[in-house]
Amino acid sequence: MIRYILKRVGYMIVTFYVVITLTFLAMKMLPGTPFKFANRLSPEQLNQLKHYYGLDQPIPIQYLHYLWNFIHGNLGGSFQYGMQPVTEFLFQRFPISLQLGFESMIFGTVLGIFLGIVSGIYRGRFLDWGTVTLAVVFISIPSFIFAAILQYFFSVQIRIFPVIGWSGPMTHVLPVVSIGVGVMATIARFMRTEMVEVLNQDYIVTAQAKGLSTNAVIFRHAIRNAMIPIVTVIGPLTSAVVTGSLVIENIFAIPGIGSQFVDAIVTNDYPMIMGTTELYAGLFIVTILIVDVLYGVIDPRIRVSGGKSI
Amino acid sequence: MTAKSNAEVTKELFVPAYLSDTESEKISGKSVSAWKDALRRFLTNKGAMLSMIILTVIILLALIGPHIFGYDIDNQDVSRANLPPKIEGLTWLPAFSGYENGVDIYKEKNISKNYWFGTDQFGRDLWTRTWKGTQISLIIALIATLADVLIGVVYGGVSGYFGGAVDNALQRILEVIAGIPSLVWIILLILIMQPGLITITIAILATSWLSMARIVRGEMLKLKNQEFVLASRTLGAGDGRIIFKHLIPNSLGMIIINTMFSVPNAIFFEAFLSFIGLGIRQPQASLGSLINDGYQMLQIHPYQTLYPGIIISLLLICFNIMGDGLRDAFDPKLRR
Repeated sequence: MIRYILKRVGYMIVTFYVVITLTFLAMKMLPGTPFKFANRLSPEQLNQLKHYYGLDQPIPIQYLHYLWNFIHGNLGGSFQYGMQPVTEFLFQRFPISLQLGFESMIFGTVLGIFLGIVSGIYRGRFLDWGTVTLAVVFISIPSFIFAAILQYFFSVQIRIFPVIGWSGPMTHVLPVVSIGVGVMATIARFMRTEMVEVLNQDYIVTAQAKGLSTNAVIFRHAIRNAMIPIVTVIGPLTSAVVTGSLVIENIFAIPGIGSQFVDAIVTNDYPMIMGTTELYAGLFIVTILIVDVLYGVIDPRIRVSGGKSI
Repeated sequence: MTAKSNAEVTKELFVPAYLSDTESEKISGKSVSAWKDALRRFLTNKGAMLSMIILTVIILLALIGPHIFGYDIDNQDVSRANLPPKIEGLTWLPAFSGYENGVDIYKEKNISKNYWFGTDQFGRDLWTRTWKGTQISLIIALIATLADVLIGVVYGGVSGYFGGAVDNALQRILEVIAGIPSLVWIILLILIMQPGLITITIAILATSWLSMARIVRGEMLKLKNQEFVLASRTLGAGDGRIIFKHLIPNSLGMIIINTMFSVPNAIFFEAFLSFIGLGIRQPQASLGSLINDGYQMLQIHPYQTLYPGIIISLLLICFNIMGDGLRDAFDPKLRR
């Protein structure tokens, strides 16, 4: 088990190193100069500026410098906000995005598991058909369209929820639902498949044969076993939730990292873009690592074969 | 004959019928190949067939739609700005009456022509722009398919077939590429290049083939040690022939299914990027950018978001249902 975890951590470090290097290279390949009035400056002034920011050194040296700064948590200053450190912004805004992400995940997972269980038990009936159809629809419709629909009906027409903002519990409802329905649909589909599979197993027949009530069979034997593989979808879902939060934060004017990121891209605030990209990459990579290790702990078969299940 | 003659049936009348062995072993009835079987299952899937019909209609409209009224994608005229949708024969429907908040905008602005999806704030015909935008989504779908087939199948095929050191190296590279989320790849690419269709195309080419490569590799590993491959090799077939004549046709079902699932992903990503302003730029339109434009006007003119929103949702739903249908058709074991 420890060998397996070490191997995964090794891969994680390599992947993250590649991301850092790629962001550095992307930054070097950007067109134009980082100085706003480069054409108005004399060559001497330009050289002075370049020297100040270390841009006159050869690229490998700059690269080492960049890595050194990165290890010490220095991601540079934001162009947009008078060279304020990027890390400061990230620390300030990340908790809000994290909260939005967690709430959406919990909303989607709880509802999804419930719907999946019900659908799996009543397989082939109307309830099942309804859940499956709804799941396809919710997986397909992009979250920003869903957000627009919710905002139009619940904020503009009926005025139950505020249109934008992130201050009280009421402001959380629409953004969380907009992101969460996709999670719900994915988990419901997955849970249903697992449930149907588990209900066809021999040990379920055994449990029924020894006289357990239907409820006991479902709650004690079926649901527990069906829920284990749910862990595997959490990795891909995190990526979907982050993608969703990018637009949802913009639509509902939530001061998280996603809206900051889109702003930074539109205004060419490169250090901010790089910092956020690295944060996202780190988030994904760590999530996938945790999911893999967790699944290895739950299901010993995975770590013996030592890799991805499918 | 009557009952009387039946009674006259005697033992001598029974003679053993001799049937040659070749005759008795013959299979009566037409042989059904795996492909025909899959096609039959797919055709009986109502949801998938309905999706296919809707997709065909959308594709036809995307091809014909922009030419019906003769407007260009960037034909601006402020005198006809923000007109609600109106269709002559359908004015009894509130959605196509040309009324907004109880006022006949067409009468107010003295406009006799009909705009089926209305116009935007610059007076551009939204019918034309919406179908032009749908074309972009369909082009993206085509590109994703090509990336899957040209890069994913080849990469996975080489990796799985040759195995050993080649496989190890290719898989480590793949692991690192897949470890970085596609969103990060796409944004890095967009930073280096200008936003636009070409950048999105490259970004999708670069990221959409990964899962296909994995699946094809798995299929190759499964198939390459089977007897029919050995038989073919014994008969002197080279690697190329074995891959293209035996292994790929046998994994074609999986390839088709996976393509059908990567297409809606690609369409979604293009719309998503255009929506946050990183995709198609004005005056070009894609469904994502149209929704973004309309979104600014959502409270006053909801119809400007409505139709592009409906079309992209329909596209994604239909592709997903068709994907499900194809999966059930090719691999009934997966059906639950």
